[in-house]
Amino acid sequence: MARDPILTLKNIHKSFVKNQIHKGVDLELQKGETLGLLGGSGTGKSVLLRSIIGLEFIDKGEIHYNGRRIDDLTEVELQKIRIKVSYSFQSGALFDSSSVFDNIAYPLFEHTCYSLSEIQSKVSDVLKLVRLEGKEELMPSDLSGGMQKRVGMARAIIMEPEIILYDEPTAGLDPSNIENVVEVMQKLKGMGHAGIFVTHDIPSALKLCDRIAILHEGKIIFNDTPKELKSSTDSRISSFITNEEVNHGNQTYG
Amino acid sequence: MSPPTHIFTKFKNFLTLSGEISALFYNAIKCSFSRPFYLNRLADQIKNLGVGSISITIVIGLTMGLIMTLNFGYGLKKFGGVLYVPSVVSLSLAREMAPFFTSLIIAGRIGSGIAAEIGAMNVTQQVDAIRALGTSPLRVLVVPRFWASVLSLPLLTTLSFALGILGGLIVCMSEFDMSVGFYFHKVFWTVRPEDYISGLVKSGVFGGIISILACHKALKTRDGTRGVGDTTTWVVVSSSICILITNFFISKLFLVFWGQ
Repeated sequence: MARDPILTLKNIHKSFVKNQIHKGVDLELQKGETLGLLGGSGTGKSVLLRSIIGLEFIDKGEIHYNGRRIDDLTEVELQKIRIKVSYSFQSGALFDSSSVFDNIAYPLFEHTCYSLSEIQSKVSDVLKLVRLEGKEELMPSDLSGGMQKRVGMARAIIMEPEIILYDEPTAGLDPSNIENVVEVMQKLKGMGHAGIFVTHDIPSALKLCDRIAILHEGKIIFNDTPKELKSSTDSRISSFITNEEVNHGNQTYG
Repeated sequence: MSPPTHIFTKFKNFLTLSGEISALFYNAIKCSFSRPFYLNRLADQIKNLGVGSISITIVIGLTMGLIMTLNFGYGLKKFGGVLYVPSVVSLSLAREMAPFFTSLIIAGRIGSGIAAEIGAMNVTQQVDAIRALGTSPLRVLVVPRFWASVLSLPLLTTLSFALGILGGLIVCMSEFDMSVGFYFHKVFWTVRPEDYISGLVKSGVFGGIISILACHKALKTRDGTRGVGDTTTWVVVSSSICILITNFFISKLFLVFWGQ
C-alpha cells in the first residue's frame, strides 16, 4: 500500500523467562483499517496488543505510531499515546466499585475540562452506540459478560481514539451477544476508527476485517485480505483454520 | 541450593525489595507536588481509612488507659506511689503507647484493606485499565492512600491518647479516690508538647510505612485470589515488624534531640 501506516511494528521480540513469544513480528496498520489478528492459544496475540501501548515491554524491535517511535517512551509520555490508541480488555476490566457512568466517564474526567452535563451527554451517546441506553447507574456486577465487554468498549472509545485494540471481544459470548459486539465494532469502523481485532472467532474476523494476520510460532505467517485467507493453500493456515473450526463449534466462515 | 548461595539470594531479594519500596516512596512524594491532584480521592481515602478506623481507635484508646492505670496504680500503691500514676500513664501514652498500639492495630485494618483492594484490582486487570486509559496508578491509587494514612494516623493517635487519659481518669477516680483536678494537674505538669509531638510524628511515619508497603505489594500481586490473600498476610506481618523496628529508632532519635 502506498499510504503511510499509522501503526508499524518492526521485528518485535518478546520473551517471558525462557519462553520466547515473539520472534520477529512485523505488522502495519493503515488509517481507518481493521486488522484481524488470529493465532492459536498462547501464541502471544494479547501480549502483542499490550506491547503496543506499553503495558508490556518488548525485548527487541520498534513500534511506531504516526511515524513516531513509541516503544522507548517513558510511562508519562505513553499516557498521551494511550489516549489516541485505546485498549478494550478481554474481560472488560471495569472498575468494579464504580457505576457504568463512572467507568465510561473516567477518561473524560481525567483528560478533559468538560462540564458534568457535557460528560453526561457524551456518556449517554456512547452508551447508545453500544446499545446500552439507560444503564448508567448500574454496577459492573449487575451486567452480563457481553454487556461488560460493551461497557469496556464504550470506555475505550469515549476519547475518540485513532486506533482501538480489541482483545478477544467476542470470547465466551453467545451468538446473539457476539452479533451485538461485532455490530458495535462495525459502527466504530464506519466512524473511521482503525482497529486491531485479536480473536479466535474466524467468522466475525472475516465479516469485519479488511486484512487478516496470523501469528504462528512467534511470527506472522499470513498477512492479507480475508479473500486470500479463504483461498490460501498454505498447510499451516488451512490446519489452523480447521483446528479453530473444531474448537469453536464448526462455524462456517465462507 | 547451598546455604551460602541461599543466603546471598535472600539478601539480594531483600535489597531489591528495599530498593523498589524506596523508589515507590520517592515517586509518591514527587507526584504529590505536581498536577493532577486527586483531592477528591484523598478525601475518600481519609474517610475510608481514617474515619472508618475511629470506632476501633476508641476501643484501643479507652482500654489502653484503663488497663495501664489499673496495673500502674496497684503496682505503685505497694510503694506509696499512687500519686505518680497520672504522670506515668500520660507520659507513656503520649510518647509510646498511643502512637505505637494505635498504629499497630490500625496497620491490620488499613494495611489489609489497601492490600486487598489494590491487589484485587491488579489481578482483575483494573490497574492495567488505569494505565491503558492514560492515567497513572501511582497518582490514582498510591498517592491518595499514602497521604490519607500519613494524615489520619496522627489524628487517630490524638483520639487514642485523649481516650487513654480519660480511661486513666476513670480508674484513678474509682479505684484510687483521685480528684479530677489533681489528675489533670499531674497530666499537664508531666506531658510536655514535645512528648505529644514525638508521638504524632511517629504515627505519621508509621502511616507512611503501612501504606507504601501495602501499595507496593498489592501492585505486584499475581495468581488470582490466592495471591490477594498472600499479599494481605504479607502486608500485615511486614508492616507490624517495620513499625516495631522503626519505633525503636524514632524513639532514640527523639531522646537524642529533645532529651528525656
